[in-house]
Amino acid sequence: MSNNGAPDSWENQVDVISEQGAKDSDDVSTKFSTLNVNAVEFVPSFCKSSSADDAESPTTPQKSESDSTNSTESPVLNGCGDGGAESGDGGAASASPRVEEPPPVPPATASPPAAATGALPVPTDVSPTADSWEAEADDALLTPEENNEPDDEEIEQQEDGELTKKIPKKKPPRVEDTCSKKEHVNVVFIGHVDAGKSTIGGQIMSLTGMVDKRTLEKYEREAREKSRESWYLSWALDTNQEERDKGKTVEVGRAYFETDKKHFTILDAPGHKSFVPNMIGGAAQADLAVLVISARKGEFETGFDRGGQTREHAMLAKTAGVKHLVALVNKMDDPTVNWDEKRYNECRDKIMPYLKKLGFNPAKDLSFLPVSGQTGQGLLERVTEEICPWYRGPSFIQLIDELPSLNRKMDGPFIMPVVDKYKDMGTVLMGKVEAGVTRKGQTLFLMPNRVQVTVDQLWSDDIEVTSIGPGENVKVKLKGIEEEDVSPGFVLCDTAEPITTGRVFDAQVVILEHKSIICAGYSAVMHIHCAAEEVTVKALICLVDKKTGEKSKTRPRFVKQDQVAIMRIECAGVICLEPFKKFAQMGRFTLRDENKTIAIGKVLKVVE
Amino acid sequence: MSEESSADRNVEIWKIKKLIKSLEMARGNGTSMISLIIPPKDQISRVSKMLADEFGTASNIKSRVNRLSVLGAITSVQHRLKLYTKGDSRVSEKTDVNQLFSWFSPIPPNGLVIYCGTIVTEEGKEKKVNIDFEPFKPINTSLYLCDNKFHTEALTALLADDNKFGFIVMDGNGALFGTLQGNTREVLHKFTVDLPKKHGRGGQSALRFARLRMEKRHNYVRKVAEVATQLFISADRPNVAGLILAGSADFKTELSQSDMFDPRLQAKIIKLVDVSYGGENGFNQAIELAAESLQNVKFIQEKKLIGRYFDEISQDTGKYCFGVDDTLRALELGAVETLICWENLDIQRYVLKSHATNQETILHLTPEQEKDKSHFTDKESGVELELVECQPLLEWLANNYKSFGATLEIITDKSQEGSQFVRGFGGIGGLLRYKVDFQSMQLDDEEIDNLYDIDDY
Repeated sequence: MSNNGAPDSWENQVDVISEQGAKDSDDVSTKFSTLNVNAVEFVPSFCKSSSADDAESPTTPQKSESDSTNSTESPVLNGCGDGGAESGDGGAASASPRVEEPPPVPPATASPPAAATGALPVPTDVSPTADSWEAEADDALLTPEENNEPDDEEIEQQEDGELTKKIPKKKPPRVEDTCSKKEHVNVVFIGHVDAGKSTIGGQIMSLTGMVDKRTLEKYEREAREKSRESWYLSWALDTNQEERDKGKTVEVGRAYFETDKKHFTILDAPGHKSFVPNMIGGAAQADLAVLVISARKGEFETGFDRGGQTREHAMLAKTAGVKHLVALVNKMDDPTVNWDEKRYNECRDKIMPYLKKLGFNPAKDLSFLPVSGQTGQGLLERVTEEICPWYRGPSFIQLIDELPSLNRKMDGPFIMPVVDKYKDMGTVLMGKVEAGVTRKGQTLFLMPNRVQVTVDQLWSDDIEVTSIGPGENVKVKLKGIEEEDVSPGFVLCDTAEPITTGRVFDAQVVILEHKSIICAGYSAVMHIHCAAEEVTVKALICLVDKKTGEKSKTRPRFVKQDQVAIMRIECAGVICLEPFKKFAQMGRFTLRDENKTIAIGKVLKVVE
Repeated sequence: MSEESSADRNVEIWKIKKLIKSLEMARGNGTSMISLIIPPKDQISRVSKMLADEFGTASNIKSRVNRLSVLGAITSVQHRLKLYTKGDSRVSEKTDVNQLFSWFSPIPPNGLVIYCGTIVTEEGKEKKVNIDFEPFKPINTSLYLCDNKFHTEALTALLADDNKFGFIVMDGNGALFGTLQGNTREVLHKFTVDLPKKHGRGGQSALRFARLRMEKRHNYVRKVAEVATQLFISADRPNVAGLILAGSADFKTELSQSDMFDPRLQAKIIKLVDVSYGGENGFNQAIELAAESLQNVKFIQEKKLIGRYFDEISQDTGKYCFGVDDTLRALELGAVETLICWENLDIQRYVLKSHATNQETILHLTPEQEKDKSHFTDKESGVELELVECQPLLEWLANNYKSFGATLEIITDKSQEGSQFVRGFGGIGGLLRYKVDFQSMQLDDEEIDNLYDIDDY
């Protein structure tokens, strides 16, 4: 029972999704996930014993071969499925090469189905691919990074020289028009202070080769000088002097790494109680949250206590709109834990009911796995059997790589809340694209001040591109505005359909924790998308029954903990927001006061 | 000081506050308005002599109107003083111990304040005013002024609590400087900064960026330290009794240890508190967190009182009441232990008399309702009712609360709790001794209901 928590849930999901897939066949992304999960299913039956090395050796040549075939194919693909492929939807782009992947199939035969999938995502391609994949499945699961479909248009990174040569030859103008094609996933690391969030982040970057050996060695040396040796991994993300001195993250750290099919942005949130506002800013950009729990004796308990941040962070992540939560039981290598299955189960069983209560579905949105951030076990590779015989599920990166792709708003108007800004030969804004696409040279509005700006340069993570799409964590250099005139919480959006701005709005609010009562005149700080604003309750409109959803006819004088109410809220200044119904990400908020999260809510109507 | 007397004192303070407000509004013709403040232990005879001299001087004023009004005012002040020379009953009542002392010096132990003059009312009519009272605590000012307005500065200074606490709230976005004194919370200054965050940019220049970042942060601390010196040090001495540093992250510790921070202020630091936000919210939270160190400040007491009231509500003990009608009913029942009232409560108390039935009715109206003339007519006969008395409800309560066996607490809406009490509960309510079941817990603002359409959601 113990080790199948995660796989179990995935199996369940397979069923659900494949059913869904049968019904609405035009959903590319679900198809995609069906395939992946099929592969995972094979883990226990076939190749439990086959080691990673075994699998790797055959796949490497395979990969380069398929790479070349793909790269020759890619322009063709682009040609026929221009819109879909170019805009870089994870589903469309990755589904097509998948079909070509079986190496024995000559490129000529592979192209027609590829073209077909690229042009119209049909259900028919599922069964053949699934078949061919089953044969391959065994090596597939052990080394997903290797065998997952190589990205076709991705020219800027980790491509062999042969490949880069080929593309310009075939279609030189394409090179200019760059945008990253892999599916973008933003991962936020949350959890109690000292749970090991930054260390895991640093470890992942070191394992995926995003930090080079020399830098790490330098960190290790410096850390040893301070006799804080175990901190060196976190230094990859904690770049400030104060953060390194104290070993505490203060601001959200940012980094990225890639697997063969996805592009992950790591957001390393601070765990300390005082910096929860910073953490909310990070969580607001995330699609996937990783709740890091320390299994070390005593640490787990303090983190999970009332005052601990484990609960608060999980709740804030849920409110920020995170759909999937991976709980990493960290520090399994600690002497007090020593990869003890009992301890792992204890942690899991304690936290599970709480996460369920928050609204995470254990079958679909939750996964648990044991890791060790310091040694890196269970992150990239699976934990070896002699250490941990009771957990045979996927490793962390495998797991997040296999998650079903997210539903992105490709077609809507462009929306990007500003998280941060700085001056670097112009005004550079940072943030995550919530919806829509934009490209270089386009004119946009910066709300709420409605300043017209032009996109000068674009970076997706640190790579310069010419167009960006939803889900990407980007930097945008703008013309037409000074850095001083921007603050975090502003929203960059389309000129045709700018986002709603307002000062007074009606919202449905759930009071989570407040010692006394809340009535008109109450003030707190509201976090909505990336903005933090002081707000005052203007009036209570009605109470909402938690179970039936019925609204009370009389106006309440006050609301107490655990009640739901509709209230009118007034902000100190004009902010950007949207009704929850219209755009969920811009319409959900949290109210905080005195270092505590008082309430969560959603915007119902913008009044003025 | 017992709780009872401190509550009385608060009412006293409130009365003086109100008086000051009305005096400040008053304007007179020429320089005929006399403000006279006599400190304790002064001699009445000395003041009388001074007034007699002034009388002589004033009789030389050219303008007839002005001369007459100044002379008139001086005469009335002299008459007032005579009351005190005879040993005013008020003095002996209040100060048994000092009675003997007052025999030698007939000035009341806390000094004496007299305002006298002819003021011009809003309608352009002249009205003679003559106010004399003994302040609630000793006043150490000697003042005689003839001007076209009353001088109340000394009184205002008297009201100000002796202990003033300074606050510096500092976080990564900006700093706020504020003070807390009595029940007034004041923001002296605030500014925002733009500190570079970590961007992970750099490469070769990473070190340079890190250095620039440190420099900016250093400059910020310096600026805060300098502004603090400007604001909290006047005449080379700290003007606050204590200083509280609040902030997220390490800025506050950095500031407190920095040698840029004035050592005179450094000595005044009472507490460092951790707040998660800057700005107003951080200020509020800092006050909350520093409450232990600021026990005696009225603002904290006020917060605690309303906090207790809210606790009663959230626990649903039934030992609370709010709204004018319920509160007055509870007062009449003698159930109210502590009556809580907002200092700017704008409800008027009307006593109306019907000629037909000779019955008196009492109405409590908001300014909105006052405009509605139907309240002043008899429902049945349609005859206009005679106005017997009209005064602000709070004033009536201040005069009569003792007869209901309650204590009166007058609060402000400066604190979070105060603002909730005023806006959510109408600014009047009370803590009860026992549970009272109010039949009509109706909401008085039903007309507002129509503003919100519930079906919208």
